[in-house]
Amino acid sequence: MAWKELKNHFKKRFSDYLELPEDIALDLPKIVLIGNLQVFIENHRGIQEYNPRLVRVVVNDKVVEVAGEGLTLRNILTDEICVEGRISSLSFAD
Amino acid sequence: MLFGILSHLGGYVTVTLPEECLEKFINLAVFRGIFLWDIKGVGTGRVLMKVRLDNVQALRHVARMAGCRFKIINRCGLPFFIKRMRQRRVLVAGALVFVAALYLLSSFVWSVEVSGNNRVSDQVVEQVASQAGLKPGVFRWGLNIPALEKTIQQQVPGLAWVGVSVQGVKVSIKVVEKTLPPPDEAAHPTDLVAARDGLITELLVFSGQPLVNEGNTVVKGQVLIASLVSPPPATEEITLPGAEKPQVEQPAHYVRARGIVKARVWYEALADVKLTERGCKFTGREMTRFGIKIGDKEIILIGPGRIPYTHYARQVKSKPGPKWRNTNIPVELLTVKFYEEKPYINRHTEAEARNLAYRKALESIRGQLAGEAVITNKSMEELAAPEPGSVRVKAIVETFENIGISKPRN
Repeated sequence: MAWKELKNHFKKRFSDYLELPEDIALDLPKIVLIGNLQVFIENHRGIQEYNPRLVRVVVNDKVVEVAGEGLTLRNILTDEICVEGRISSLSFAD
Repeated sequence: MLFGILSHLGGYVTVTLPEECLEKFINLAVFRGIFLWDIKGVGTGRVLMKVRLDNVQALRHVARMAGCRFKIINRCGLPFFIKRMRQRRVLVAGALVFVAALYLLSSFVWSVEVSGNNRVSDQVVEQVASQAGLKPGVFRWGLNIPALEKTIQQQVPGLAWVGVSVQGVKVSIKVVEKTLPPPDEAAHPTDLVAARDGLITELLVFSGQPLVNEGNTVVKGQVLIASLVSPPPATEEITLPGAEKPQVEQPAHYVRARGIVKARVWYEALADVKLTERGCKFTGREMTRFGIKIGDKEIILIGPGRIPYTHYARQVKSKPGPKWRNTNIPVELLTVKFYEEKPYINRHTEAEARNLAYRKALESIRGQLAGEAVITNKSMEELAAPEPGSVRVKAIVETFENIGISKPRN
C-alpha cells in the first residue's frame, strides 16, 4: 500500500510540474453537477447499485454515491454516466 | 434532438428487467459497447431501459451471462412502424389515394373569373376563352397562358389588354377595355353649354346653331351652340345687319354641336389666416400595436399597452375574418399605429398673414381651374376680419379659357 501511495505522490508531483490535468494523470473521475438535476460522471468503472433513491458508481478506487429521488440513468456509455433526477447528495465512499 | 431522430429512424425497444441482476447486466452491456439510456426504476422490483434495435441480439447474450431474462415491452421507431403498416395495407392505400386525389383535383381549373370589364360582357370573354381551351374542368398544367392572352385579345372586340393568371384552381382573366370614340353623332345630338359664368370674347362655330355672340355674358349651363340647326327663319328675328342669308332652304335637323367658345372668367376665393396659429405636427416617431379584437374587447398581442406620447394621432387598420355565407365571425385583427405629434405656435405679422392668406386663396382657386385656363389678371382685396387677431383676404383671378362643354340633348 505504501508503494502505491508513493507512486501516486510522484504522479501528482509530475502532473503538477507539467501542468497536466489531474483527472488524466491520476485516472480520477470528472464529475459535473448541473444544479440538482443532473450529474455527469466521466471515467467510471461501472455501477454498483441502482435504485430510484440511490445510485452507486464505481470510480478509480472509490465509489460515488448519488442520493436523491426519482433517479434515472439518462444514458450510460463505457466512460460516461449521466444520472438525472432530484439529487440531494453526492458523496465518496471507499 | 438529433439523437431522438436517429434512434427513431433505427428503431428502439423498451425492455424490463428484474432489479436484482441490474448492476451486473448494465456493466456487462456497457463493457460490450451497448448503449443503454433512460434507465428507470418503476418501483415494483423491475427496471425499464431503452436499447437500440440492432443491439437487442447482443443484449440476449448479456442477459444469459448475467443470468437473468429481460422482456421487451414496447417497440418504437420507423422499422416497427413500417411493419405495422404492412399489416394495415388498406390504411396506407387510403392515405395514398387521399394525397393522389388532392393532387389530381387541384390540377384542374375549377373556376374562371373575368374582371375589369364594363362594356364587354363576361359571357363573351368566357366563351372565347373556352374556345381557346380555358374553361372549368381543363387540366391546369396544359394551359398556354401567353397564347390564351393573345387569342382573347384578338377575338374579343374592344379589349386593349388581357392578363390571365392562375391562382390555384381559379383562373382570373383581367381585361382592360379600349376607350372608344363617342358613338354616332346623328343618333345622339349634343349641345355645347357653358361650363362657367363668363364674358364671351371669342366664338368659333364648327357645327351647330350659335345662340350667343361675342361680348355676351353667359351663366353656367347656358346653351352656347345648339344641336338643332333650324332653317333660316322667314321673319327677321335675329338677323344681324350685313349677315348673308343662306340661299338653300334646309329642314331642321340635329347635329353634334362643336366649336370653341373662349371667355373671360372670374374666380374668387376667401382665405383667413390667424396672427397666432396653433397646430400639431408629426415628430416622426411612431409605434405599432398589434392585437385581436373579439367582440368589443381588444387583446394586445404585440406592442405597448400605454402610449408614452402626450399628443398623438392614431390610425386603425382592421382585418375582419373571412366572410362565409351569412356567418359573421366577431374576431378581427387590429393594427393600430400611433404617430407622435408636437404642438406648435406660429406668430405672423399683419403683412405676413395677408401674404399667406393671399397665397392660400390663390391655391384654392388653382384647384378649381381647368387645365388650359390662362391667368390674365390677379388681384387681392382685404376684407374685414371675422374676428380680432386674424386677417381675411379675397383673391380675384381673371382667366381666359374655353368654357364650352358637350352635353347630350335630352
